[in-house]
Amino acid sequence: MMSNTEPIPTQAKPHDEEAIIRESLKRCSAETIEAALQFRLSGNPDLANTIVIGILTRFLEPEQRPKLQGESDHLRLMDDLGVDSLTMVEVIMLVEEILHVSIKNEDLRDLHTIGDVKGYVNAIARGLPPPEKPVRLGIAEIAEIMPHQPPFLFLQDAEIRPAEARGTYKISGQEFFLSGHFKDRPVFPASLQIEALGQLGVLFLLKGKHPDIAVGVPGVVDATKIFLTSCDGVRCTRICRPDDILSLTIHPKRIKHPLAIFEGAITVHGEKASFVEEIALTFDYLPPPAVSEISDPGQAEAPAATPSGPATSEP
Amino acid sequence: MRSVVVTGLGFICSIGNDKTAVSSSLHTLKHGLAPYAPFSDPKTPVKLIGAIRGFDTSSFDSEDWSWPADYTVKRDVLRGLPPHGLFAYCAVQQAIADAKLTPQDISNPATGMYTASAGSASMLHHNITRMFASGVMRCSPMGVVNSVVGTLSFNLVAAFKILGASCGFASACASSGHALGFALDEIRLGRQERMIVVGGEDGNLEAILPFAGMRALSSTDKPELASCPFDERRSGFVGTGGGAVMILEAEEAARARGAHIYARFLGWGQASDGYSPAISHPDGHGLALSMTRCLTDAGITPKNVDYINAHATSTPIGDRSEVSAIKHVFTGDKTPAISSTKGLTGHGLSMASILEAAFCCLALDEQFIPGNAHLRQPDPETLGLHLPVETKSAPLQFALSNSSGFGGANVSLLFGKN
Repeated sequence: MMSNTEPIPTQAKPHDEEAIIRESLKRCSAETIEAALQFRLSGNPDLANTIVIGILTRFLEPEQRPKLQGESDHLRLMDDLGVDSLTMVEVIMLVEEILHVSIKNEDLRDLHTIGDVKGYVNAIARGLPPPEKPVRLGIAEIAEIMPHQPPFLFLQDAEIRPAEARGTYKISGQEFFLSGHFKDRPVFPASLQIEALGQLGVLFLLKGKHPDIAVGVPGVVDATKIFLTSCDGVRCTRICRPDDILSLTIHPKRIKHPLAIFEGAITVHGEKASFVEEIALTFDYLPPPAVSEISDPGQAEAPAATPSGPATSEP
Repeated sequence: MRSVVVTGLGFICSIGNDKTAVSSSLHTLKHGLAPYAPFSDPKTPVKLIGAIRGFDTSSFDSEDWSWPADYTVKRDVLRGLPPHGLFAYCAVQQAIADAKLTPQDISNPATGMYTASAGSASMLHHNITRMFASGVMRCSPMGVVNSVVGTLSFNLVAAFKILGASCGFASACASSGHALGFALDEIRLGRQERMIVVGGEDGNLEAILPFAGMRALSSTDKPELASCPFDERRSGFVGTGGGAVMILEAEEAARARGAHIYARFLGWGQASDGYSPAISHPDGHGLALSMTRCLTDAGITPKNVDYINAHATSTPIGDRSEVSAIKHVFTGDKTPAISSTKGLTGHGLSMASILEAAFCCLALDEQFIPGNAHLRQPDPETLGLHLPVETKSAPLQFALSNSSGFGGANVSLLFGKN
């Protein structure tokens, strides 16, 4: 006769929990499993990144895995690592299970790079709100904001965060200078890679929300008054050719009017292409708007006091 | 209409995992039936299965699976596959290599793929069980594409980057016959130059055992009694799974690239019984009409047919219905040799039709007629039919292959010597 005496499972005992974690993470590295077990004991949010990167690595094709060793924040999930949205769901399910967190579908769409994933998981593991969404700009918006224009604009899309900007540029092969650099052997000049990083710095100053940008009064940077002034510690290590996609990243090191100093790096499909320890831009602010423009709400809209359009003065 | 030829074959089945092994089994009548551990419970009224060797797909986690080292299966392909998806994926790789086609020959708008599968009952069951137990947000994101009817098409069309026509066929045991017939038309009508046709079945407990509830499976553990089509001792079929692939090409395209041609695919026909969802009509009128239409389509008269690969699954009613249909169509003095290779393989359900069509192509290429394994005491109803019990080398010009599925769906296919 059948009897119904099996105990009803209640809270998993600690050793059961360890077994479950080990089973769930069985295709992850020993380091990942160890971090997950530690996290369960201590709740230490510093372990979250190790766990998440360990889980992500397990879902990568084997030939992609070495890319995650070392500095990898700039790597794009889809383009550099082949992680599609379904793989992301697999990653997130396992992360949710191990970290005991819940990740919203709509937040997933904003995770484009390893750095995004780390920043996001770090925040939620600490019970903090997810990091602010970056400002994303496409080529049309970039061309509208920037003083640079084709054929001398080396950014096609960009993401600006408070302390970082990323951009990409695909070398089309049609760039005018490639016919001479070099003869019958087009190579994207290293000097223009530095130029591209400088342009990302310009975009950062114009659209970024770094608190030090806005200390001037009234704090609006003038697009016509940003110039590259110096570079230090430049290393270019990869020959970049047509069809390569340059992934550019800059981090502000010091911003104090009239100088903004960034560290910059370019990779191509995860390989280091160039690195600049310090790239310095000078900048200045727009003049304050005329008083009449901000007074008397009863009046009809006044014409702009400052003429818009290309600036005519150079320093 | 353009003529169509068969230039590539792929087999993962109970009698061999390549054409050499399959041909050898057909010649020596070496069956592929074996005891199946998941049926070992004494309460389970079925013991045997047509066993797939060299693969382990018993886990619900496809990353636990193993397969022969000759095949490469990347994780992004593997994660969406049901068990038969893996068999069929390997069989497609095999057929492409056999036909000496390049990735460019496969991935272009003139090459299509038709598949036949009933979906994966085991994966569907696993996914739905998990959904109820753990909530839908804890289910695999591939839980739909690895299980529902159509899974074979979704996965293989993506994996092989097919750009031409694609469709999954589901007419039970006639599925891959329909896939072949419509693929033939696709090329004859000039819509495609080349079609890859694939059949697959999990062949595991969830796919096979439910047929025991219909009393359709043999319960014996003796292979020679468990699958013995046309024998009066027959008591039901033995289930099997695997993957079978045929590559069809417009004849001029195949000749232009110097391809080996196994056989000419000359015609097909189909007709329905309109009788029962699960039982063949006793007089087999649907299958008779299907054969007649097939012969008309191919421009062949019954007396020209040398060999019929029968659908006969070893069930009492089904085999007798087919006998009646064959007697109705083949009335002359010269009757074809008839055999059911299911005595060797077991019944591959959705895959059966293409598996047996591929056997016909091998037989035409190598000029032999497969015998009826396990036929010792022919059903008296078969009196007057030529049912060889051994495989023999013989001149073979035209071979007909029959399939009948649930709902009384009947498909007949006709192949000719190159």
